[in-house]
Amino acid sequence: MMWKALLIAVLAIAHCQAVLETDANTLVLLDNLAIRETHSIFFKSLQDRGFKLTYKLADDSSLLLSKYGEYLYKNVIIFAPSVEEFGGDVSVERLAQFVDDGGNVLVAGSEKSGDALREFASECGFELDEENAAVIDHLHYDVSDAGEHTTILTSAKNLIQADTIVGKANRQADAAPLLYRGTGLIADKENPLVLKLLTAESTAYSYNPEASVSDYPHAVGRGTLLIAALQARNNARVVFSGSLLFFSDESFTTAVQYAQSGVFHKLAGNRDVAESISKWVFGETGRLRVASVQHHKEGELLPPDQAYTITDPVVYTIGIEELVQGEWRAFKASDIQLEFVRIDPFVRTYLKQTNTGAYQAKFKIPDVYGVYQFKVDYDRVGYTHLYSTTQVSVRPLEHTQYERFIPSAFPYYTSAFSMMIGVFVFSFVFLHFKDEPVGRAAKEDKKSQ
Amino acid sequence: MNRTPKMLNSKVAGYSSLITFAILLIAWLAGFSSRLFAVIRFESIIHEFDPWFNYRATAYMVQNGWYNFLNWFDERAWYPLGRIVGGTVYPGLMITSGGIHWLLHVLNIPVHIRDICVFLAPIFSGLTSISTYLLTKELWSAGAGLFAASFIAIVPGYISRSVAGSYDNEGIAIFALQFTYFLWVRSVKTGSVFWSAAAALSYFYMVSAWGGYVFIINLIPLHVFVLLIMGRYSPRLLTSYSTFYILGLLFSMQIPFVGFQPIRTSEHMAALGVFVLLMAVATLRHLQSVLSRNEFRKLFIVGGLLVGVGVFVAVVVLTMLGVVAPWSGRFYSLWDTGYAKIHIPIIASVSEHQPTTWFSFFFDLHILVCAFPVGVWYCIKQINDERVFVVLYAISAVYFAGVMVRLMLTLTPVVCMLAGVAFSGLLDVFLQEDSSKRMGTAISTATEVDEAEDSIEKKTLYDKAGKLKHRTKHDAQQDTGVSSNLKSIVILAVLMLLMMFAVHCTWVTSNAYSSPSIVLAFHNSQDGSRNILDDFREAYYWLSQNTADDARVMSWWDYGYQIAGMANRTTLVDNNTWNNSHIALVGKAMSSTEEKSYEIMTSLDVDYVLVIFGGVIGYSGDDINKFLWMVRIAEGEHPKDIKESDYFTDCGEFRRFGELKLDYRGPSGYDRTRNAVIGNKDFDLTYLEEAYTTEHWLVRIYRVKKPHEFNRPSLKTKERTIPPANFISRKVVYSAALNELD
Repeated sequence: MMWKALLIAVLAIAHCQAVLETDANTLVLLDNLAIRETHSIFFKSLQDRGFKLTYKLADDSSLLLSKYGEYLYKNVIIFAPSVEEFGGDVSVERLAQFVDDGGNVLVAGSEKSGDALREFASECGFELDEENAAVIDHLHYDVSDAGEHTTILTSAKNLIQADTIVGKANRQADAAPLLYRGTGLIADKENPLVLKLLTAESTAYSYNPEASVSDYPHAVGRGTLLIAALQARNNARVVFSGSLLFFSDESFTTAVQYAQSGVFHKLAGNRDVAESISKWVFGETGRLRVASVQHHKEGELLPPDQAYTITDPVVYTIGIEELVQGEWRAFKASDIQLEFVRIDPFVRTYLKQTNTGAYQAKFKIPDVYGVYQFKVDYDRVGYTHLYSTTQVSVRPLEHTQYERFIPSAFPYYTSAFSMMIGVFVFSFVFLHFKDEPVGRAAKEDKKSQ
Repeated sequence: MNRTPKMLNSKVAGYSSLITFAILLIAWLAGFSSRLFAVIRFESIIHEFDPWFNYRATAYMVQNGWYNFLNWFDERAWYPLGRIVGGTVYPGLMITSGGIHWLLHVLNIPVHIRDICVFLAPIFSGLTSISTYLLTKELWSAGAGLFAASFIAIVPGYISRSVAGSYDNEGIAIFALQFTYFLWVRSVKTGSVFWSAAAALSYFYMVSAWGGYVFIINLIPLHVFVLLIMGRYSPRLLTSYSTFYILGLLFSMQIPFVGFQPIRTSEHMAALGVFVLLMAVATLRHLQSVLSRNEFRKLFIVGGLLVGVGVFVAVVVLTMLGVVAPWSGRFYSLWDTGYAKIHIPIIASVSEHQPTTWFSFFFDLHILVCAFPVGVWYCIKQINDERVFVVLYAISAVYFAGVMVRLMLTLTPVVCMLAGVAFSGLLDVFLQEDSSKRMGTAISTATEVDEAEDSIEKKTLYDKAGKLKHRTKHDAQQDTGVSSNLKSIVILAVLMLLMMFAVHCTWVTSNAYSSPSIVLAFHNSQDGSRNILDDFREAYYWLSQNTADDARVMSWWDYGYQIAGMANRTTLVDNNTWNNSHIALVGKAMSSTEEKSYEIMTSLDVDYVLVIFGGVIGYSGDDINKFLWMVRIAEGEHPKDIKESDYFTDCGEFRRFGELKLDYRGPSGYDRTRNAVIGNKDFDLTYLEEAYTTEHWLVRIYRVKKPHEFNRPSLKTKERTIPPANFISRKVVYSAALNELD
C-alpha cells in the first residue's frame, strides 16, 4: 500500500507536465536509501517534469511490477549496482519481460556490479566488465582522482551523434567534459539495436586497477563503452551506465579539471547529459507516431472499394507526429521515404511535407498487378522506429476497360465491313437480277436428265 | 402377305426403340448411383483439391454474376502476385453448374449451389453414355452403341474422375469430347455444314471446359490427314473440315484463357497445316479436272515444292520471331517421358503425371482392355471413313494413357466403344440364327435386334456395296461352323465375363475412387468399426475461426485450393501451378534452415505455416514424403542455395516434429508412415511456434513470429566474453525446497 500513498503524495505536487500522464509511473530501485539523497538533483528533475517516482530497495520482498496483468509502472530506474538478486516479484526475467512489454529501464552499475545487473545487461545485448574492473585513463583523469586514474573525464564529442538522445548543446566542441567513475561495458557486435551513447577517450581501457595488466583488457580506447542504450524492436528503451556516479549530485555540481593538461571547467557536463538521456529513455523525446494514413486515386477522396487498377495515379498521405513537451506535433524531416512493395519495391520515393504538416507522395501504380503494400520504414538513431504498411490490391484492366478500337487494327475493320457490304450487295444482285438464259439452261439440264 | 412384314417391322422398330431407351435410362441410373458411394459413406462434400477451387469459383460466379466472375481478380491466391481468375480458368464447368442453378431457381426449386456441384459429374456421366451410344452407333451399330453406353456408365477409368463431389473439368469434358466426336463423325459421313457447325459448337463447349480440347484439335486433323493419305478425299471431307476448323478456331478464341493460342502455339499448328493441305488437295483436284495431264504434273511438282518450302520457311521464321510459341513443357513430356523428371520437376511431382502401370490398365478397364483390340481389329477389317477415325482415336489414346496415368481418362471412352463393338460382334455371330436364345438377357436381345435393324438401315442409307458383300460372306462362314452347344457355352462365358466386369467396377468404385480425400476413413482392426479422420477440415475450420481475416498461410501447393476454399485465407501457392518460381520460393522456405526460411517468410509476409504430417496415423501423402519434390523444385530455381544431394546424407531437414510421443510402448518420435524413428527429435523453434495441431497430428499449423517478437537479441551464456559466475538464485532454491516439502 505504500506505493499508493507515495503516488498520492507525488500527485499532490502539481508540476508542469512534460511527460504524458500514462508514462509517468516510475519505480526506482536503490541499494540503500542514501542513494536517494546523493542523487537528489537527478530525481528532482524527473519529478519536476511530472514523473511519479516510487522508491524501493532493490531487494525489498514486497516489490511488485504488475498487478492483475497490468503493469503498475511504465519506467524502472535501477540505481542498485551491488544487488545480487531482486526482491519480491522482480527478477531478471520479469524485467526482461517488462522490456518486451514496452517498459523503459535506466540502469546504473559500478565497478562492483552484482549478478542481477550482469544478467539483465546480457539480456539487453551488452555486458559489464569483470568484477572490480574499472575504466582507467592515465591521460584524461580528473584532479580529484585518488591515484588509480579511475575518475576519468571524457570529452563531450564522445557522445553519440543523436540530438534527441544527448541534446544538441551538450555535444558542442566547447561543452564541458563528463565525469565518470565505474566499469566499462562491452557491446554485442552482432546486435544492431545497441546504441553507444558515450565512449571513453582513446587512451582509456577497462581493467582491475589493483592488478597488473596480464591479459589483454576486454575494452580498450574508444571501444570502451561507458553508457550504452538499447532501443528494442517494440521501441522500449534501456539505458545502461557503468557508473552510478555519473548521475550523482556530486558530478552534477562539481568543477572538473584535467589533471594532465590542466584545462578547467566550472561544471562537469553530467547534469545536462543525464537529464537529456533520462528524457530519451523515458520517452519524452524522440518519439514518433503515425497519426493517419490515407491513400486514394488522384482526383478522388476515398480509396477504391476493391482494388486499384494498374497504372492508376495514386496519392498517399501519411501524418507523422513527434512528441514535443508532452504534446504530439507534426514531425519535420526531409528524408522520409515511401516504398510501394510487392516482394520487391516497385516504387521508392521521398515523401514531401504539405501545408497541413502531413507527408504526401504522388505516383503512378506500376503496370503489374498483384497485392502491394505502401510501406514507410523510418528508422533513425534517437527516434522510435516508425513502420507503417498498408496493403492494397492492384488489379488488371476489366474487360470493359480495354480500348474499343485500336488504330493498328483498322485494316481489319475495313476488311470486315467491306466484306459485309460486299456480301449484301452480292446477294442483292444475285436475288434480283436473274438472267433469262440461266433459266433456259436449267431447263435444258432437266431435259437431258 | 404385304402387310404382315411391315407391321412386324414397325413392331420390331417400336420394341427396339423402347429397349434402347430403357437401356440408356438404366445405364444413366446405374452410372449415377454407382457414383454416390462417397456421398452415402461420408456426406455431400466437394472432394480433393482442384474441385475446391472450381466450387469456390462457381460460388463466386453465382453470387456476383458472370461479368464480375470474368473480371475476378483473386488477391487471396498467389499472394502477393494475385491471380486473374476470369482469364486463367476454363469457365465451362462454372457456367454449366451456374446455369443449372439459375434454371432451378427460376423454376422455384431452391437448391444450394454446392449440391449442384457435387452431383454434376454423376449427372453428366449419363449424358456421356448417351453420346457414347450415338458415336458408337455412327461407327458400328446400335447394339455396339448400347454396349458402349453401358460400359462407360460404370467403367472405373471414368468413374475415377466423376464420382459425386469430384467437381472437376473432366466430369463434363468427357461428355463434350464424345459428343464432339459424334458430331464430327456425323458431319464426315454426311458432309453437311449443319453437322460440322454443330461439331464446332460442341468443340466450343469442350474448349470452355477442359484443356484437353487440344486432343480434339489434333485428332480431327490427324483423321483428315490420314484420310487424305489413304486417298479417301471427298468433297464431304472438305466441307466438314473447313467448316469445323474455321468455326472452331473462332469459337475457341472466345475463351479468355485460350485467347490467341490457337493461332500462336505449336499445339494448334497441326490443325492449321491440315487445313492448308486440304485446301491444296481440293485445289489440285479442281485443277486436275480442268488441266491436261502433263500440265497438271508440272504444276503439281513445281507448286508442291514451292508450297512445301514456303510453309517450312514460314513456320521456322515465325517460331524464331516468337510469334509461334514452341511446344510447352507439358507436351514435351508427352513425347519423352523422362523429360519432365529432368527439366520440370513440378510436373513430375504430380502423381497423376506418372507413367501408367500395366496394373492400372486392368484395374481401370478390366475385361474391356482385352476386348478392345478385338474391336480395333474389327474396325480395321471393315474400314471406312469414320472407322479410320476411331482407330486413330484408339491408337493415340493408348499411347497417351501409357505416358500419363491421368490420360487414362481419354482412353476409357474409346476402349468402351471398341469393346462394345467387339462384344456386339461376338454376340452377332453367336446369337444370329438361334432364335431360342432370344430370351437370354435384355442386353443381348436388344443388341441383336438393334443389330438386325441397324444393318437394314445401313443397307438403305450409306453403306457401300462392297463392304456389305464382305459382311454377308463373313456371317455365312460363321453360321456353318458353329454348333448350338458351342454357341450357348460362348454366350454363357461372355455373360459371366460381363457380370464379373460389373462386379469389378462396383468394387473398384467403392474401394478406390470414392474417398473424398479431405475426410479419411480407416477400419479399426480390433472391432472392425469405421473411424473417420476429419483432421483437414478441423484445421481449416480452426484457421477460419482463429486467424485474422487477411492472414497469409504458407503451405505446399497441394493444399492451396483447400485453404482458400474452406478456410477462406490468403495462400501463397495453390494447385494452379502457373508460377514455377513462386512455388520454388515456397519450396526453398520449406527446405532451408529456420533462419533462412524466416527471411523468405517475412519477405512474403507469411503469418502461418501449414504442414501435413502423417507420422502418427500412417498417412503416406504427407509433406515429408513430398519433401523431396520441394527440394527438387527449389533447386531448379535456386541452385546455389538448395542442393538435392545435401539432403540425402543427413535427415536433419525436418524441423517440424520432435516433441511427438506416439504411445508409451514405442519409442518417442516413432514415425508410422516411414517406419523409422525420426532423426531429429528434440529441437526448439526460434522463429515459429506451434499454433494448432489437429486430433491425429495430421495437420499442424505454425505461427510465424513477427519481427517485434524478437524484441532484443540477448546474449547467450556461451557468447559472452565474461563468463558468468555460478550463481544460484535463492528464490529458485527456496521454491525447489517448497516443492520437495509438498
